[in-house]
Amino acid sequence: MALALLLSLHPANASQAKPLVRQVPAQQEAALSGDQLAEARLLKVYRLMASGRSREALDQAGKIVRDHPNFQLAQLVYGDLLAARFRPVKALGDVPAELATAGAGALGELRAESEQRVQALKQPPRAGTIPSQFLEISQKIRHAIAVDASRSRLYLFENRPSGLTLVADYYTSVGKAGVSKTAQGDQRTPLGVYYITSHLEARLLTDFYGSGALPINYPNVLDTRRGKTGSGIWLHGTPPNQFSRAPLASDGCLVMANPDLVNLIRRVEVGVTPVVIAPQLQWVDARSAKAAGKLFDDTLQAWRSAKVAGNLERVMSFYTHDFNSYGKTREQWSGVLRSELSRLQGRDVELKDVSYLRWTDSADTMVVTFGEVLVGKKTGWTKRQYWTRQSGQWKIFFEGTL
Amino acid sequence: MKRAKSLVLTSLRVIATLGLLHGLAAHADEYSDVSQLVRAGKLAEALGRADQYLASQPKDPQMRFLKGVILRDTGKTADAINTFTRLTEDYPELPEPYNNLAVLYAGQSQFDKARNALEMAIRTNPSYATAHENLGDIYAKLASQAYNRALQLDNANAAVPPKLALIREVFVPNKAQRPTPAGSLAAATATPPAVPAPAAKPATTPPAPPAPPVAAAAPAAAVPAVPAAAPTPAPDTAAASELEAAVAAWARAWSAKDVKAYLAAYGKDFKPPSGMSRKSWEEERQLRISSKASISVKVDKLAINVSDNRAQARFRQDYKAGGLAVKSSKTLEFARIGGRWLIVKETVGN
Repeated sequence: MALALLLSLHPANASQAKPLVRQVPAQQEAALSGDQLAEARLLKVYRLMASGRSREALDQAGKIVRDHPNFQLAQLVYGDLLAARFRPVKALGDVPAELATAGAGALGELRAESEQRVQALKQPPRAGTIPSQFLEISQKIRHAIAVDASRSRLYLFENRPSGLTLVADYYTSVGKAGVSKTAQGDQRTPLGVYYITSHLEARLLTDFYGSGALPINYPNVLDTRRGKTGSGIWLHGTPPNQFSRAPLASDGCLVMANPDLVNLIRRVEVGVTPVVIAPQLQWVDARSAKAAGKLFDDTLQAWRSAKVAGNLERVMSFYTHDFNSYGKTREQWSGVLRSELSRLQGRDVELKDVSYLRWTDSADTMVVTFGEVLVGKKTGWTKRQYWTRQSGQWKIFFEGTL
Repeated sequence: MKRAKSLVLTSLRVIATLGLLHGLAAHADEYSDVSQLVRAGKLAEALGRADQYLASQPKDPQMRFLKGVILRDTGKTADAINTFTRLTEDYPELPEPYNNLAVLYAGQSQFDKARNALEMAIRTNPSYATAHENLGDIYAKLASQAYNRALQLDNANAAVPPKLALIREVFVPNKAQRPTPAGSLAAATATPPAVPAPAAKPATTPPAPPAPPVAAAAPAAAVPAVPAAAPTPAPDTAAASELEAAVAAWARAWSAKDVKAYLAAYGKDFKPPSGMSRKSWEEERQLRISSKASISVKVDKLAINVSDNRAQARFRQDYKAGGLAVKSSKTLEFARIGGRWLIVKETVGN
C-alpha cells in the first residue's frame, strides 16, 4: 500500500498501526487553538493514511487546506493524497521531478517539519513531569514556557496551586544555524533562562512577524558575562503566506504559528513569565524538582541571615570576585550593601514569592527571583540574583532590583 | 417525410400524455437533426431547434443535454452550467451531465467543483471511464496545485485547466438493455434507446457495461453489433491470424503511446464517435494518449468473425493508465483495405 509508505518516513510508525501520537477526542479538539488544532487534524490524516483509509484522509486533508491554505505541510500531504488517486506515492512529498528540483529546499524543510511534529507528538512528556530547570516557581508567576529545540517544540505551563501543569505545546522554529547563540548575526537561537521583556503589537510590526512579538532578555546576565553578543531575540508569529516555518528558519528568534502566538500573548506577563530554551529538555518528576529547590532554600536563607545580622564581611562572602550589578563592581557593591545594612539596623527581612530556575551547562547557574520585604511592611523590592556553583559553593555573581 | 414525422410526434405526444411511454424513433430523428446542426457548426439554428423541441418536451433529458452542449460550444458557460446542473438534479442517475459540468468547471479552473461533479458521475456509474479519466486529470491538476502551494512555487502551469473530454450526446439507458454505454443516437435506427421515465432509479438500471477510455470518451455509433452479412462460422484461418495480429498491433501501439501507429490502425472510413470530425478525434486521442505517463492495454478472450473483407474482433480489454484500470468488452470492426485490416468501427459493450 503506497500510502502506508508515507508514514515510513517517521520510522517508529512503520510497524505501529496505531501511532503513539496524542489522540484528540472530538470535544477536546474544539478547545485546541489554531496550530494545535491544525496539527492534530494533520496527524489524524497521517493515522488515516497509515491504516489505509486514504479516501477519508484525502477528505480530511482537503478540509485542513481549505481552513489553512498557507499550511504548506498540509498542502504537501494533500497533494500526495490527490496524487495517490492516480499514481503510487512513495514518500511524503512525492512531488513530480520538476517540482522536486525547483522546490528542493522547501521540500526538505517540509519533511523535516513533519518529522519534528510527529516526533514531538509521539513522545509527549510523561504526566507529572516538568523540565528540570523549574525548581521553584512562585505562585505569583502564572505561566512558564520551556522550549525543546531538538523537538522544535514550545511547552506552555500553567502554574497551579498543585504545581506546574502542561497546558499546551506548539511547534516552533529556531535559528537557521540552530541553537547556542554566541554572537550577533550567527543565526542561532540562544540557550538559557530568559524572561519576556515586552509585547510588541502586530500593528507596530511588519507582516513578517505575524500576530506580534514577545522579546526576551537575550543576552541575559550569564550571556553578557560570557561575552555573548547580539540582541532582538523574540518569540514571534509568521507572515501571511506561511502558517508555520521550517524547523530551522529564523535569525535566532522562536517563530510560531500566529494562533499559537496569540494564545501565548494572552497568557504571558511581561517581566514575569520565564522562557527556558534548552537544546533538549530533561523532564523530571515535579516532586524531585521541588526537593532540589528546597536544598537551595538553605543557601538563600543563609544569605538573608547574614544580611539581617548586619555582618558585611559575611554578606560579601556570598558574592563572587567578578560580581557585577548593572556595571557596579564587587567593591562598589560592597558600598551599596554597607549603606543598606546600616538602614536595616538588624530588622528582619522576609523573602517572598521565591522562584529558582536552574540552568546547567558547562557551569551550574541558579536564577533566583524574590520579593525582599522588611517584616511588618507591605511592600519591598523585587530582586533577581544569578548564583553560580563554584567548588560546591553557591555564589552570587549578579544581583539587581527589577 | 415531414408529415410522417409529425404524425409520429403527434402520436407520441398522445402516448406521452398517457404516461405510458417516453421516447421513440421520432425523438432520435429530432436529436440527430440537432446533432447534425451542431456538427455543421450551425449552433444558432441547433439551439433554435432544441428550444423549439423543449417548448413541448421541457423535461426531455437528451435534448436538454444537447442544449447544454450547444450553450457550451457557443461560449455561454454559465448557461451551460445551469443546464447541466438542472439535468443532474432531475436525472441524478445520469453520469454524463455530471461529466460535462466537470468539464465546464475545469475550464473555469474550479477544480474542486470539477472533482465533485466527476465523483458524482462515477457514483452514478462506477465504470464510467470518461469520468474516471477526467477525474484522473483533475486529481493531477489539484495535486500539482497543492504541491505548488506547499513548495511556494509560483507555477503558472498549476492554474492552466486540463483538457477534459466533453460528452457530446447523452445516452439514456434503456431499462431492459444497454447495448453500448454511450451510443450515439444519430445512427441508432434499429434500436433507438428509450428515454427513461424520470422516476428511473439508478438501482433499477442494469449495470452498465464497463467502458474503456477510448470508446467512452468518444463513443462509437451504435449499430447492429454484427455486420449485415452473417459471419461465417468457421473463419478463414489465415484471415483470423491476420486479424489477431492487427488487434495485437493496435493494442501494442496504444500501450507504447505510439500515437502515429495507433491512429494508423484506423481506416479512412472509420467514423469518429459523437459526430466528431476525424481531425478533432485524432487530436483528442493524441492528447489522451500522450498525456499518460504509461498505458497498458491487454487483449483477452479474443473472438474473431470474418466475412469476406469485413471482420469483427470481440474481446475483453484490460486498460491501465496511472492509477486507472478499466476492464471492458470491446468490439472492433475491420475492413480489409489495400490488403490491410483497418478499424472502421469501435464499440464498447457486447
